[in-house]
Amino acid sequence: MSKKGKTMSKTNLDEINRNIYDIKNKDEYDFKIKKGLTPEIIEEISNQKNDPDWMRDFRLKALEVYHELELPTWGPDLSELDMSQIATYVRPKSKLNNSWEDVPDDIKNTFDKLGIPEAEKTSLAGVGAQYDSEVVYHSMKEELIQQGVIYTDMETALQEYPDLVQNHFMKCVPVYDHKFVALHGAVWSGGSFVYVPKGVKVDIPLQSYFRLNSPESGQFEHTLIIVDEGASLHFIEGCSAPKYNKVNLHAGCVELYVKDNAYLRYSTIENWSKNMLNLNTKKAFVGKNAKMEWVSGSFGSKISMLYPMSILNGEGAKTEFTGISFAGKGQNLDNGFKVVHNARNTSSVVNAKSISKNGGKCTYRSLVRINEKAKYSKSSVSCESLMLDDISISDTIPVNDIQTDEVEVSHEAKIGKISDKTIFYLMSRGLSEEDAKAMIVRGFAYPISKELPVEYAVEMNNLINLELEGSIG
Amino acid sequence: MIKLNETPVRTSRNFNINNITLENVDIPKEVGDFKKVQIIGENSKIKMNEECSEISLNYGLSDFFTNQVKQKANQKIRCNVESKTEKELRIYFDFDEENLQLVDDIEIIANEETKATIMIKYEADEKLACFHNGILRVVAKKGAKVNVIFMNLLNTNSNHFMAIENEIEEKAKVNYCIVDFGGKNCITNLDSNLLGNFSENRIHTIYLGKEKQLFDLNYRGVLRGEKSNLEMEVQGALKDNAKKHFKGTIDFKKGAKKAKGNENEACMLLSDTAKSLALPMLLCAEEEVEGNHSSSAGKIGEKELFYMMSRGFTFKEAQKLMVRAKFNKILQNIKSEGLRNYILKEIDERLE
Repeated sequence: MSKKGKTMSKTNLDEINRNIYDIKNKDEYDFKIKKGLTPEIIEEISNQKNDPDWMRDFRLKALEVYHELELPTWGPDLSELDMSQIATYVRPKSKLNNSWEDVPDDIKNTFDKLGIPEAEKTSLAGVGAQYDSEVVYHSMKEELIQQGVIYTDMETALQEYPDLVQNHFMKCVPVYDHKFVALHGAVWSGGSFVYVPKGVKVDIPLQSYFRLNSPESGQFEHTLIIVDEGASLHFIEGCSAPKYNKVNLHAGCVELYVKDNAYLRYSTIENWSKNMLNLNTKKAFVGKNAKMEWVSGSFGSKISMLYPMSILNGEGAKTEFTGISFAGKGQNLDNGFKVVHNARNTSSVVNAKSISKNGGKCTYRSLVRINEKAKYSKSSVSCESLMLDDISISDTIPVNDIQTDEVEVSHEAKIGKISDKTIFYLMSRGLSEEDAKAMIVRGFAYPISKELPVEYAVEMNNLINLELEGSIG
Repeated sequence: MIKLNETPVRTSRNFNINNITLENVDIPKEVGDFKKVQIIGENSKIKMNEECSEISLNYGLSDFFTNQVKQKANQKIRCNVESKTEKELRIYFDFDEENLQLVDDIEIIANEETKATIMIKYEADEKLACFHNGILRVVAKKGAKVNVIFMNLLNTNSNHFMAIENEIEEKAKVNYCIVDFGGKNCITNLDSNLLGNFSENRIHTIYLGKEKQLFDLNYRGVLRGEKSNLEMEVQGALKDNAKKHFKGTIDFKKGAKKAKGNENEACMLLSDTAKSLALPMLLCAEEEVEGNHSSSAGKIGEKELFYMMSRGFTFKEAQKLMVRAKFNKILQNIKSEGLRNYILKEIDERLE
């Protein structure tokens, strides 16, 4: 029995290959902006992207804000980030295509190995693939086009749907939010635009995959999703990069508008390389009786500061956050969730988990704010942290700001190691200690993996196995 | 404008909880005499106005407030516990028109295998505008047991600043029952260091805010000893425009194997203009520990209120009963029935 357990685990490990994330293509590009941040560089990006005037002005203003704002005085140390050494725009040697056959071989091979075209055939209604600063592939099923769904890259959206973009672009996440949002506003490139018309239900998920190949560069994709009244959508975001010796930066921005009675689920499996600083910002405006669900798995990055946020503006709006972070050696994952209740009868449910091992640090940082007008609102937060050794760190830093009385707010957190009794029980049933621990960790992550589409749940379990390999037992 | 009571770990500035900023607080540059101190119990343990140990707090409200006690304390009390005693030692500070400013430095040293219960009470007439800045240090040496009953019954016109520091050695226990009711600004910093193996610290607090009272309670427990055990239980109620910040940190340091830390904070909101801000933190650098925290805020249950009102109580009476019931859990730790009743009467009066 023990042998059987061991074999099962090995089979799982054999199924995955870390190398797929670490495929390093030659740093070839059509255009790479010089390193640094100056108005001239911003103008050059704007020229390269053929921006309309308002966007050019917006970028320059955002750069000013970037210089005005300070680095955060809390959280992980970002002193190693030297913007003078980062190229903020790298255009790959590929135009936007709607057939994988037209994508250059080396780029297509990378996405092939990441399983994107295969997933598109089997389980997705549309796919966008970004390589460095530009989207190289975008496609969506015909029936969704006929229903009026728009799924395209941001640059195309800016040209073809200017009013829709201008009315929503960085209105949900204003450039003053923090320094890296301002940076994003100045240098953003790529990303996806989705519009789901009133009442349209998109049953099969759309997925955008972001791949950063170029060393000493940044990726600043902008995702803007509008789910109109009564419509629904599941959107999946994936990201990865090969590992380099020097720092790479990801400062993307996700703006989600979930209109009255609409539903949006936004799932992310983030597996950036461990030289990446992931300073991403995600925020959703949620309308009357609408529902916003976040599902998030955070495995990669050297440093991550990521706190998706729901602003419940409409009466009866709901949000749920289900997330897991897994920090290994050299990683500092400072993740969490923020919710602001601005209307009556709103509710939020948070289920956050973290695992730290081999000296990794996980921090859960959050905000639940219930404003004066949000009477009869409810919030329930649960967070659990698992420590796999005594050289790792796990912190929980939640803030609950309650400004009225007719509310129910609860927050629970616990921290600890894998129970010896549970390991003993599983070992008495024939599992090796290593397999027993791996099974417990997978069970710990199950509430998150069950929320993902099956192939992403498998990917997440594979990532967990991979992270656990050699670290326990 | 003064900034004080910084959290042990900072979080986003937008969350407005890293520290507290006070404006228009009258802090006396020179501190007058304070003579209304009463000590009841075994006086031989007490040394009044002798030099206490050099103050060097690990944490504290801020350098300014620590230095004021260092340089200008008008009451210094050192209590050296050398035996096991069941009898309470009571220290009362009563503010009146001639005793309006108190800067006190209290040190309790419980020597090995000793036991003591010490009650400290600050009280002021309703209309006086008093100032209190105090430091209380408790050292519990190996096997010592110290119970501290700390009562802040100042009025809502006064300012109350308090820093408490505990050092708890092997197998020593320090239990607190804190009643924090007073102060226009009630700012408390409590820092417990569980240094020894099997050391224990229980902190049980009730707070009750009314009018425009502001509470900023910053508690930190640092667990270093193996099998050390920390428990924080904080129950509060806020009415009118009262506002509370509770910052509770359980910090497991490397080496604190099999340590346990539990923190529970619950706030009853008795009006729709009362505000509760909570930051229950868990910091952990040791694998083999058990840490839990929970925090809740909300109105008193409508069903319970309805039940009591259907039994003939008015809304106000029912509300008082509910608050008393929640607080009683903590007040049970006070053995003296007379003292418990005294606090319950105070609760009733403040809820009027």
